[in-house]
Amino acid sequence: MTIWDRLFNIDRRWIFLLMGVVTVVPFFFKMGLPVITTEEVEGIYNHVDSLDHDNAVMIGFDYQPGTMAENQPMSEAVMRHCFARKIPVFITAFWPLGNGLAEQAITTLTDPAKPGTFQRVRYNEWREYDYGDEELPDRVTHAELVELWERDHELREDAMGWVFEGVDYVLLGYAPLFHIVLLGMGRSITSQYPSDLYGNPTEDMPIVKRNKSAREVDMGLTVSGSSTVLSWLTYARESYGMPIAFGVTAVSATDYLVYIQSGQILGQMGGLRGAAEYEVMLERDDYAVEMGRAFMGMDVQSIVHVLIVILVVLGNIAYFAGGYHRKGRRLKAGR
Amino acid sequence: MKRTIPLLIVMVGGIMMMIQFFIPHQISQAIFGLYTDYVPVISGFALILGVGSLTRVHYHKVRRRADNWQYSLLVIVTLYLMPVFGIIIPASIGGQAEGPSVFHFLYNYVQIPIQSTMFSLLAFYIASAAFRAFRARSAMATVLMLAAIIVMMGQVPIGDFLGKWFPATGLWILRFPNLAGKRAIQLGVGFGILATNLKIIFGVERNWLGGAGK
Repeated sequence: MTIWDRLFNIDRRWIFLLMGVVTVVPFFFKMGLPVITTEEVEGIYNHVDSLDHDNAVMIGFDYQPGTMAENQPMSEAVMRHCFARKIPVFITAFWPLGNGLAEQAITTLTDPAKPGTFQRVRYNEWREYDYGDEELPDRVTHAELVELWERDHELREDAMGWVFEGVDYVLLGYAPLFHIVLLGMGRSITSQYPSDLYGNPTEDMPIVKRNKSAREVDMGLTVSGSSTVLSWLTYARESYGMPIAFGVTAVSATDYLVYIQSGQILGQMGGLRGAAEYEVMLERDDYAVEMGRAFMGMDVQSIVHVLIVILVVLGNIAYFAGGYHRKGRRLKAGR
Repeated sequence: MKRTIPLLIVMVGGIMMMIQFFIPHQISQAIFGLYTDYVPVISGFALILGVGSLTRVHYHKVRRRADNWQYSLLVIVTLYLMPVFGIIIPASIGGQAEGPSVFHFLYNYVQIPIQSTMFSLLAFYIASAAFRAFRARSAMATVLMLAAIIVMMGQVPIGDFLGKWFPATGLWILRFPNLAGKRAIQLGVGFGILATNLKIIFGVERNWLGGAGK
């Protein structure tokens, strides 16, 4: 058996071992290669950057833990952008497991142990607080609430700002048959979500009072590892004109590029690369003090992609040098 | 009767939904509102059916001591344990009010790692499959292999570092040849969906009733 035969019929467990090793290496030796942004991701970023407190964004955590390595950084990046610009965020989920992932994202963005995060105030905390002589306005805005709240509370020194549940965001969570829920939200959000994930009535929340239906929402971002993104396109974009953006896994990214070219979606974050591009723009515009997890993950992806290309090249060298391209030389199945 | 009534429901419902989309009259909007309110409620009953069916299948496996019955037992235990911790005993592990509940603990430290691990295995299989599949056996296979290498390298920063043409060519492949193919496929699929929907609404296609259209 020649070296080419051995290489050609290499046990796949060696490939698995190589993959495991090169995946771990970047954790010890950071490369930090620059990530160049593409117009697909810039489309989403620029749209969010043009919004403010008078607008609203809806983020769908339409994925499950299996794809969270790729999808979670996307959700966190856009949510960070919205929090920093004080854009109210409605958070929904296509699957029950999306609830936990949405909670995790909020916890990460409001983690007091990390610099550059936000300081969260829960709904009941600010709602039931005694403001003395001052009366809480019915449709209180973020700025008004900050003014009242800061009379008795101090913002953490390294925090990027306050985030009030019910004003700056509401976690609506999962509802069965979400495509029907999307249609229903075009009529009224409270008709589909009478309460948020924690049981607080949504009709009392300033975020819902100012944005009564999904028609008043200025962007819907669906982050998903499956074709559920198309529900947003069909039922939110085409039914009542909500501008839509996608955040999808790398394997399905090519499926949805057609919707960018046709102008049906604002843009798309494809895989970890898409999230890393968004993080680069956040850091560039001072919405984040450091790069996020997606940017860090690009080192791993770089090395793994190089390994796969080397394997493909070696496989082809063995194919020709071993004479497997000639008729009669049969390929072994290999393990 | 068992077939006529479901067919009528589908026909009337389907036509009504088409009408309400193209004619936004007050009455059609009211009916549409009623529909969007009721459908999620009705679908909730599917959950009961699903849980019942899953329990029955796995209960019989456990009772008959079928092959790998232990897994079936695990399915039943976890199926009922998670709602118990989520709804009936929403207490934390240590009993503190501030601590994460047992439900959250199981979700964060069991379910998430299990699902993430399963999906991560894909990377290892893809690497092995790429080694064996991308071979220059013919002109078409060579084009496929080269396109794959360029797109792969164009997607990562090291590709940008090695040569600006990597991301530029990779994006060109994605934006033009890829889109041309995808658009053709999706148009075909779209017309297929439209034709199938019309056949179901007007009762031509009846396989969904069961019994293969008898």
